[in-house]
Amino acid sequence: MLSSRLYVPQDTPFELTEIRLSEASDDELMEINRESGTGLSLDEMKRVRDHFDGMGRNPTDVELQSIGQAWSEHCCYKSSKMFLKEYIFGIDNRQVIDRGDAGVMEFDRDHAYALRIESHNHPSAVEPYGGAATGIGGIIRDVLCMGAQPIALVDPLFFGPLNYPFKKLPDGVKHPKYLLGGVVAGIRDYGNRVGIPTVSGGLWFDESYTGNCLVNVGCVGIAEKRNIRRNAVRGPGDVLILVGGRTGRDGIHGVTFASAVLTQDSEMESRGAVQLGDPIMKEPVMHAVLEANEKGLVNGMKDLGGGGLSCVVGEIALAGGCGAEVDIGKVPLKEEGLAPWEIWVSESQERMMLSVSPRNAERVFHIFKLWDVPATPIGKIIREKRVRLYYDGTKVFDLELDFLTAGPEYCRPCNASAGGRRRKEKIPKAKTRYDKDLLKLLSDQNICSRDWVIRQYDHEVRANTVIKPLHGKMGHWTHGDAAVLKPVEESFRGLAIATSSNPFAVAGDPYRGGKTCVDEVCRNIAAVGARPHSLTDCLNFGNPEIPDRLWQFREAVRGIGEVADDLDLPIPSGNVSFYNESPKGSVLPTPVILGCGIVRDVRKCVTSDFKKEGNPIFLVGETGQEMGASAYHRSAGGHSSKVPDVKTTALRAGMDVITKGIERGVIVACHDISDGGLAVASAEMCIGGDVGANLNLEKLGRLRSDVKLFSESNSRWLIEVRKGKEKHLPKDRRTKVVKLGRVGDSSLVIGSSRKLVDLEVEKLAKSFGSTLWRMIG
Amino acid sequence: MKVSDARVCVLRIEGTNCEEESYLSFKRLGAKPEKVHLKQLTGTDVTSDEKRSLADYQVLVLPGGFSSGDYVRAGAIFAARIKSRLSRDLEEFVRAGKPVLGICNGFQILVETGLLPAMSGIMTEVPEAVLSTNDSARFECRPTLLKKVNRGSCAFTTKIPSNKISAIPSAHAEGKLTFPVDRSKKIVKELDDNDQLVFKYVNPEGELAGYPWCPNGSTENIAGICNREGNVFGLMPHPERVFFRYTHPDWTRNPDGAGDGRAVFESVLGYVSKKL
Amino acid sequence: MQSQVTIKMAVAEVRVTLKKGVADPEGKNTLKALELLGFEGVRDVRSVKVFEIETEGEAGETKRSVEEMCRKLLANPVIHNYSIRIK
Repeated sequence: MLSSRLYVPQDTPFELTEIRLSEASDDELMEINRESGTGLSLDEMKRVRDHFDGMGRNPTDVELQSIGQAWSEHCCYKSSKMFLKEYIFGIDNRQVIDRGDAGVMEFDRDHAYALRIESHNHPSAVEPYGGAATGIGGIIRDVLCMGAQPIALVDPLFFGPLNYPFKKLPDGVKHPKYLLGGVVAGIRDYGNRVGIPTVSGGLWFDESYTGNCLVNVGCVGIAEKRNIRRNAVRGPGDVLILVGGRTGRDGIHGVTFASAVLTQDSEMESRGAVQLGDPIMKEPVMHAVLEANEKGLVNGMKDLGGGGLSCVVGEIALAGGCGAEVDIGKVPLKEEGLAPWEIWVSESQERMMLSVSPRNAERVFHIFKLWDVPATPIGKIIREKRVRLYYDGTKVFDLELDFLTAGPEYCRPCNASAGGRRRKEKIPKAKTRYDKDLLKLLSDQNICSRDWVIRQYDHEVRANTVIKPLHGKMGHWTHGDAAVLKPVEESFRGLAIATSSNPFAVAGDPYRGGKTCVDEVCRNIAAVGARPHSLTDCLNFGNPEIPDRLWQFREAVRGIGEVADDLDLPIPSGNVSFYNESPKGSVLPTPVILGCGIVRDVRKCVTSDFKKEGNPIFLVGETGQEMGASAYHRSAGGHSSKVPDVKTTALRAGMDVITKGIERGVIVACHDISDGGLAVASAEMCIGGDVGANLNLEKLGRLRSDVKLFSESNSRWLIEVRKGKEKHLPKDRRTKVVKLGRVGDSSLVIGSSRKLVDLEVEKLAKSFGSTLWRMIG
Repeated sequence: MKVSDARVCVLRIEGTNCEEESYLSFKRLGAKPEKVHLKQLTGTDVTSDEKRSLADYQVLVLPGGFSSGDYVRAGAIFAARIKSRLSRDLEEFVRAGKPVLGICNGFQILVETGLLPAMSGIMTEVPEAVLSTNDSARFECRPTLLKKVNRGSCAFTTKIPSNKISAIPSAHAEGKLTFPVDRSKKIVKELDDNDQLVFKYVNPEGELAGYPWCPNGSTENIAGICNREGNVFGLMPHPERVFFRYTHPDWTRNPDGAGDGRAVFESVLGYVSKKL
Repeated sequence: MQSQVTIKMAVAEVRVTLKKGVADPEGKNTLKALELLGFEGVRDVRSVKVFEIETEGEAGETKRSVEEMCRKLLANPVIHNYSIRIK
C-alpha cells in the first residue's frame, strides 16, 4: 500500500477517498493504478492528472474508477478503432436503421431486426457456468434495449482439445472437458430459462484455446419499426430509471479483467469480476421492458454491461446531447456497505437503464411492479454535458462528459513478425483409397456431430424456428448450414441466421482467412434459400500491444471488410476482444461472424439432407489447389501456406444460382462445402437422408484426388436437384455448375478415374455421431 | 357456445415462456385467448381494469417454460402459488367441465397441484406423481413421436384418430413421469382402466422404444395423461410448436398438410363448442 | 442509546433426499463425469438438496412451520424424503 499521503479519506459517513494524483510521481501513479485496479497506462494516468490539475483539484476514488472503466480497451476500443473505421464502419446502405448496443436493420416495411455478438471469454475461462450464462444475459439486453424482442441466440465456442492430457495442463488452467461442460450448461440453463431459442453456433478445438477458451454469444431480435428506440435520452427532465436486478460486489472490474492477459492467478484474483446471472429476473425484465416500450412510455434505454452505471449514465445522456445528475444512494443493493465507487462500477447482472418522461414514470413503475421487477428512479437528465453524482447529500463526482468519454485512441505498431513463421510446404502422400481418411475426418472433434450440445439447447421455443440446427429424416440427423426463423405472425418472410469462423485459415493467412469467414457465412445463408443481408462480428485476438498480433487483427479486418463491402453487407454492430492469451501464448486469431439473411417465403427453404433416390447431385463453384489450413492437412500432417482466397464475383454468382434454384423448387437439398471439403459435405448429406450417393469427380479437372475430395476452396455448395428439373437450374457463367452423380443406394461411393471412397452410410453416421458422446458422455 | 366466444386464459408468471405460441394456437382457430398474469387472478398489484376472474374463461392453459426458474422442482413454486390462492376457483372450473391444458411446465404444475392424475376427486391434497429428472440428467430438445392411446375420454384428442402417431417435439429436463415405486404398476393399470392415458412415446414403427425416442425414461413411455373426466390434460411435448407443418423437424421431406399439434387445439375448441 | 428489540431467530436446515429405489440421474451422471475427469475409486454419488431457512420465532414453532413448507413446496412425497434440523 502506498503511503497514506496520496489517499486521503474524506470526512463522510461513508467510504470516499481523495486521490492526490497531483502529488504522485510516475511510479506512484502506476502504483495507484495497480492498487485501484483501473488498468490504465502511465500516459493515460498522466492525462487524468493533468485534467484534474486544470480544474484545480484531485479526483475522488469514484471519479478515478469511472475513468478507468470508460477508458478500458473493452469500453473504448482504443487499439482497434482505427482499423474498424478504415474497413468496417464505412459499409452502409439504406437498410441500416441504427448502430447502437445492437445494430438495427430493416426486415420488411413495418419491422426491423436487431443483431449483435460479443465475447465472454475471460469470465468463462475462470468460471465457465456463470461466465457463459451472464454472457447470454448481456447479449439479450443489448438487443432488448433497442426495443426489440429477442428471438434467437447463437453461441460459437472454442476450447482446447477434449483429449488434452491432464498432466500437461498448466497450473490454474481447467481441462477443456470441464470448460465445455460448464459453458454448455451455463448457456443451456440460462437460454432455456429465458425462453429464447439457441439456433446456431459452433464448436472449435485447438491447443491454443486450452488456457483461454473463447465463448462468444450472439442475439437477434425483432420489433415493429415504431418500437425501435435509440440508446439515448430525449432531453433535460427525463427521469433515469434503473430496472432489474440489485447491485452488488459481483462483477467489479469486469472490463479491466477483459482487457488484460489471463495468468495462473486469474482465478484467485478475478472471481469478483465474474457475475452471477439470474434468468428468472431477466425473463420478467424482458416482458416489462417491452410492454413499457410498446405503450410508448420509454424515451430511450440502455443495457448495463461493461462498466455498469459508470458507463451507461454518461453514454445514454451524451447520446441525447445532455448530462445527468444521479443519486447513487438510491441504487437498490444486494448487500449493505458498498462504497459509492463500487456501486458506480459494479457489473451486477440483469440491470437496464430507462430514460422516461416524468409524466410516464408512474405507469412504468406499475408495469414493473406487476412483474415483481425493481424499478428505481435514480437521477435526472440535465442540459449541461456533465455527470454529477451524489451520495447521502454529498457530491462525490463531477466530470465533463467530453473528457470522460473521450477515451484514448491508439495507432499501435503493427507488422508481421519477421521470418521464422514460414513453415515448409508439406504435402501428404497420395493414396489409392481415402475411406479411412474420410472416417477420420468425420469423427474429428472439429467436424463431428454437435448433437450432444445442440439437443441441450431449446432451439424451437417461441415456435418460430422453421429451419432448425439439425436436419434429416427422423432419427438420422446431420448439420444444417443456417437456421431460419419466421418472426412475424402475418408474414411468410423469414430471417436466416448463420455463424462462421475459420481460425485455422486466419492463422495461415489473416487477410484471406478474414475473407473466408465472410464467404462461409454467406454460403451458409444461401444454402437454406436466403439472401445475406447484414453481418455482425466478434473479433477475438491476442495482445494488441504485440505488433504481429495486431497485424493479424488488421489483416483479418481488412479481409472481412473487403468482402462485406463488395457484397454490400453492412456490419452495424460488433465487438472486439483482445488479450486472449495465456502463459502458453495467444489463441489462434479468431474472428467470428454472425450473418443474417432474408428469406422471401420460408415454405421454400431447403435442408441439407439428401431427399430422394435418383435425384441428380451437382457441385456449384470452382475447386482449386489451395489446401492451406484445411482439415485434411491438419489431420494428415500436411502444411501449405496457400489458404483459399475469395473471388466475390464467383461468390455472388454462386449464391444467385443457389437461392434462385431453391426459390424455384429445383434444389431440394443444399449443403455448403467447408471443413473436410466435398467428401465430408456429401457424407453429411447422406447421413441426414439415411441414403447413399454415387459421385464422380472427373469433371473437377486435373487435380490430385485428395484435393478433389478435401479441398476447402470457398464459394462452393453441393446440391440435390429434383429429377427432371435440371434444365430449370439457374445458370451463371461467373460460376461453375457441374453434375457429379445421383442420390441412391446405401453407400457413399466417390470416384474419379478410379474408386476413391466406398462406405456404408451407417458407418459414416457412426463415425460422425459418436465422438462427443464418447469423450464427454 | 361458439368457438369465437370461447375465452382462453393463458396463465403466466415470471419464467413462463411459451405463452405467445400457446396464445396464437387458439387465436388462429378463432377463439379469444388472453395472456393473464397470475396476479391478475389473485388481485395483487393490479388495477381494477387489469383484474380478472377465472370463472370468466372457458379454457385454462398453463403454458411451458420455467416458471420461477423451476427452482425447488419444476413447476412446484407456480403450483404452490396457485394452490394457496386459487384452489377453490380452480376446483369449480374443473368441476364445471371446463378444460385445463398443461403443456410441459404446465403438466408439471398440474401434477404438483394434484389436478393430475387425480384418480379420485378433482384435486388431491398431496401430489400423486412427479415429473422427475430425465434419465440422461440433461435438458433434451428433440423430436418425439406420440401414439394416441386414449380410448375417447380426453377432450383434447378427439380429433386425433386412435393409434395415430403424431410428431410433437419435446424440450425439457424433468419429464420422467414417476409414481411411488411400490405402487407404480398398479397406478398405471388404474390409469389405463380409467382411460386416463393419452399419449405414449414411440419409435417411427409405433413401438415403445428406449432413449432417445423416449427422451426422459418416463414410466411405460407415458407422455401425457388426463383426469378421469378427460377435461384436465397434461403432456410434456409441445403441440403448440407444430401448429404448422413448416415447424416440424423434418417438414422439408414432407411439406404438405397441417402441423400435427393443431388437432389438440381443434379438439378442445370442438369440446367447448359442444359442451359449454 | 436506542432500546434494542430482540427478535428470536432460528435457522432450519432442510435436507431433501430421494427415496430408496428412485432413480438419481444427477448422481449417476456426476459419477460418470468424475470418472471421465480421471478420478479413481469413486463408488457412488447421490444428489441431495439442502435448504437453509431463517425464520423468526422459537425453535418448536419453526419446526412446525418448516414441516408445513416441506409438505407444501420443498418435497414431493412421491420421490422425496426430508429431514429438518434446527440449528
